[in-house]
Parts: sequence; C-alpha cells; structure tokens
Amino acid sequence: MATAAEQWVLVEMVQALYEEKEELIEEWQPEPLVPPVSGDHPALNYNVVSGPPSHNIVVNGKKCVNFASFNFLGLLDDPRVKAAALVSLRKYGVGTCGPRGFYGTFDVHLDLEDRLAKFMQTEEAIIYSYGFATIASAIPAYSKRGDIVFVDRAACFAIQKGLQASRSDIQLFKHNDMADLERLLKEQEIEDQKNPRKARVTRRFIVVEGLYMNTGTICPLPELVKLKYKYKARIFLEESLSFGVLGEHGRGVTEHFGISIDDIDLISANMENSLASIGGFCCGRSFVIDHQRLSGQGYCFSASLPPLLAAAAIEALNIMEENPGIFSVLREKCKRIHKALQGISGLKVVGESFSPAFHLQLQESTGSREDDVKLLQEIVNHCMDRSIALTQARYLEKEEKCLPPPSIRVVVTVEQTDEELERAARTIKEVAQAVLL
Amino acid sequence: MGGGSADSVPPIERAQMGEGGCFLETAGVEASAAPRAPRASEASRMNVGVAHSEVNPNTRVMNSRGIWLAYIILVGLLHVVLLSIPFFSIPVVWTLTNVIHNLAMYVFLHTVKGTPFETPDQGKARLLTHWEQMDYGLQFTSSRKFLSISPIVLYLLASFYTKYDAAHFLINTASLLSVLLPKLPQFHGVRLFGINKY
Repeated sequence: MATAAEQWVLVEMVQALYEEKEELIEEWQPEPLVPPVSGDHPALNYNVVSGPPSHNIVVNGKKCVNFASFNFLGLLDDPRVKAAALVSLRKYGVGTCGPRGFYGTFDVHLDLEDRLAKFMQTEEAIIYSYGFATIASAIPAYSKRGDIVFVDRAACFAIQKGLQASRSDIQLFKHNDMADLERLLKEQEIEDQKNPRKARVTRRFIVVEGLYMNTGTICPLPELVKLKYKYKARIFLEESLSFGVLGEHGRGVTEHFGISIDDIDLISANMENSLASIGGFCCGRSFVIDHQRLSGQGYCFSASLPPLLAAAAIEALNIMEENPGIFSVLREKCKRIHKALQGISGLKVVGESFSPAFHLQLQESTGSREDDVKLLQEIVNHCMDRSIALTQARYLEKEEKCLPPPSIRVVVTVEQTDEELERAARTIKEVAQAVLL
Repeated sequence: MGGGSADSVPPIERAQMGEGGCFLETAGVEASAAPRAPRASEASRMNVGVAHSEVNPNTRVMNSRGIWLAYIILVGLLHVVLLSIPFFSIPVVWTLTNVIHNLAMYVFLHTVKGTPFETPDQGKARLLTHWEQMDYGLQFTSSRKFLSISPIVLYLLASFYTKYDAAHFLINTASLLSVLLPKLPQFHGVRLFGINKY
C-alpha cells in the first residue's frame, strides 16, 4: 500500500499536470478562418468578360480573339442554337425547379438522351445538369469500398473528386504508360490469386480520358481494350474534350481508333465544350446506364438541366450531324497552329497535334511554381494587349493529387481563320522572346 | 465496429420510443378529429412519415414498431405448423422448433452479409452480417438482448417438453450454442477459418 508521503507526491503530480493543461490552453492561438492571401492571387484579380465568350471576346473592355474558351465548334454564338433555346425558353420558362425524379423530367430531356444515345450508337444515355458532376457521380455509382480503380496520373479534377467520393482503392499509373498500368494489373492479379474469394467480390475499373485536359494528349485506347480483356477490368472513358472533336463524325476516341463502342463500358462527357451547352451525359449499355438513374447522386439529387439548354444541345447535335466536315476542319487548324508554335525558345508545346486544347509549358522552370506562374501570366497579359485572349491552366494547388506544371492553355476553334491562327502564333513567339529572354 | 460510436446514441432513444410511433399517433388524432374527411385526404396521407435519413436501414429494422411481436408470432406459427404434422411426438416437435428457429436465425443474422439495397455510404456494411450491423455495432441494445434471450427461452421450453432426454439435450444444446456464440461481443467481426469473410 502507498504510504502517506507517496500519496502526497501523486497529488502534486496531478496538480502539476492540470497547471500544464491550463498553460497550454492559454498559449493556444487559433488559426485564422481566412488565411492571409497575397494581393496578386489570381482569384482576386480576375478578368471581366462583357458579352458572350464567342470568337471575338471583349475582355476588360478590350476586343480580343478568343483562344481560351472551349468553344471548339463555334456553336456558342450560333444563331440556330440560340433560336432553339429561345423557343424552348418561351415554352418552358428558364429552370426546372426539381430533380429528374420530382417533376423535373421534360420531353426535351428524354429527347436529348435519345439523340445522344443514337449519335454515340449506344443503347442509352443519361443527362446530368452539371459537367463536373457527371463523371464525379458516375464513378461512385459503380465503384464502392473495396473495389479497385486504376487511373491515370493526369486525370482531371472531376475524376479525382469522383474517385475520392467512391472510397475505393486508387492505383495511379504513369500518364499514358501502358507498361506501368500492366505492371499494376499484374501485381493485382498476383494478389487475386493469393486470395481468390476476395478477388471474386472486388470490381476492377480503369478510368481514362480520351483527350486529357491537363496535357492535351490522347489515351492509347487499343492497348487499353487489350488490357481490359486480359485482366478483366472495366473501362470508364471520359470524353469531355474528344466528343465533337475526334473521329469522322465527332463520336470521340472510339471512332478515332476504330474501336467498337461496345468495348467501352461507360463513356462520360461534358456538354460544355463542343456542344456549347451546360451539363454532361453518360452513355453505354442500358444495363449500365439505368443503374445511374437511382445511384447517380448528381442525377437524383440535383435539379435537372434547364430545358432551354437541352433544346440548345439538341440543335447543336443537329448541326453536328448535318455537317460532319467541321471535325476535320478543326483538326486541320489544330495541326496548323501546333506546327506554327514549334520552335519557340523557352516554351514547349505539350499535346497532340490534333488536340484543340493544348498547353504551352516553360522549357526550363525557374525553380519555384510561383515564379513560373508569374512569368506565364506576363506572357498572357502581353498577348492580351495585342488582342489575343489566352489563359493559364488553373488548378486548386492544394487539392490536386498530381499537380501539373504551370502552363498556358491554347484552344483552337473552327471559327478562327487561318490569318488569326498565324497572327496568334506570331504574337506568342514575339511575346515569349520578349519576356523570357 | 464496437459500441460507442457517436451516431449510435440516437437509435437507442428511437428504439425505446418505437420507430414511427409518434407519426401514427398524430395521424390517428387527426383522423378522429375530422371524421368527415373525404377519401382523398386519407390517400394523401399515404406517405406521411415514411421518409427517413437513415444511411443503413438494416441497423434499426429490429427496433421497428411491432417487429418483436411479429417475431414471436412467427415462431409460434412455426411451432403450430410442426404440431399439426401427425407423425411427430411433442418432444420431437419442440426440438424441431428449436433447431429450425436457430438455423433460420443463424442464416439470416450471422451468415447473410451486406444490404439488399444500395446505401449512400459506398458499401461500408458490405462485409458485415445483420447482427454486426444492428445499431451500428453498439452492443447490449434492447433488440440484441431480445434476440439473445429468445433462443434461450425456446431452449428452456424444449428441454422441459423433451423431458431432459439425452439425445434431444445434445441436439438442442449444440443448436443453442451455434446461435449464441456469434452474438457475443468478442465475436464481432470474427470469421473463423476465413469462412464467409468476403
């Protein structure tokens, strides 16, 4: 039993601990709710656009040629599209005030889903009202805890958020490196052989983009399909940048490579780029797409797409189907400016030659990302002074899994004439020489 | 997994109140207060009180209103059906009731895993049996006590009606142990020899 003297020591120790606790509480300083931000943060100095962001865009009161908006087919200012939207506006009003399951389904939605399914030659399509939410809802609808997703390192932020929401095991493979993907798949196969009962209940997915937003490169779809059948994984293809761009009729990467669309389990795309509408769609087999009608969080719990935008998308699809020649015209223009921008000292062109959205990165980084961003911003500002509207690719730097290097993103649209492309290439060359030397 | 998670406290209070009880009571009060109410209002009250924000309804189905009574009636029904078969003597019928009840309880509570519906938590309970899902893993709740005591009560009745015969005793005891052991908190999430793990 403890003696009286030892008991005194225990009480003293406890009292000392309490005092220490009080001291620590007094010393503690809370972090500010809003951390201090420097005055030249890009979110605080934004450019103001007056009027539509069409081919001739008015930025900060200055008329420029638009090389920044993803208006690939120039449908943003198309009179037919605007007329269809106005007719729909007069008929339905502006919003739908309800999700699809709660009186928010209009005939234009069903029409658009039908048309998209027919256009992409799949069984069914499903519409989301926000492009970002499309792939971010589609992935967690199929992939749950315990499932494995193999995803490219350069996947866009929407895919990353979808993967985070899915709570699955994420395996990143190096960008467009099929050998790395095969290595990961092989390792998974070995794990599966060790534990076949667990393997029987785990689903495997491969998530890739057709044309990557962060790098402008194309995914090697034929090898991916081979790997899919060899290792029994399902492919989710995100075609936001390649829908309405690649392929003979604009159907995307599958048409570009001549792969049967039944080999891809789910195609998800943004309607905010080529179709110049808002929202997104997923298409595939009925068996696959029907599941999202109850499990797609963005479908069930968000208000549906405003009918005027759905009507605009239908009209845009009509235009795409009527002149399939614009896709090759767009690709020609992309190749032209890609060639024209080669050989700038200090800037390198990152992206495929036929990609309408490619990046200009610094050949040699200064060492700190902030300085790189400042340099590129100078180039962008000078180009803006010479009426070429460019933008830097912006990321949430703390949230991205694999942050791409800072770059200027150049977008090519069908509406840009050859002279404007030449002028843009010349301007960028001169400005880059002036700023970087 | 284990008791004491923050969101398990409300289910206990609801269990003691009886789920949906207050809604039915208010509906009853309104119905009696307006006896001349037309049929349409009764139809429009169809889905009053059915929306819930429970992430995994499996966790509180055994706390629902009337389910304990339904369970007892079901066991009684099984017993009466077995009693109606002319070949079985009373001891055999009681042993059969005990064994079939325990077998069904083992299959539904301790073998079948996950949920028959999709849950918004991305499959957190995919590998858990219904017993492990009950009340989000909180131990010694009223439903758990009820479901542990009911096989014991059946066992006592079966022992009495089989006049403590040796063979019946062995069968009934083995059956009782098979259904009591998985209910121990020490066996929460335990899968012996990897059986039923995935």
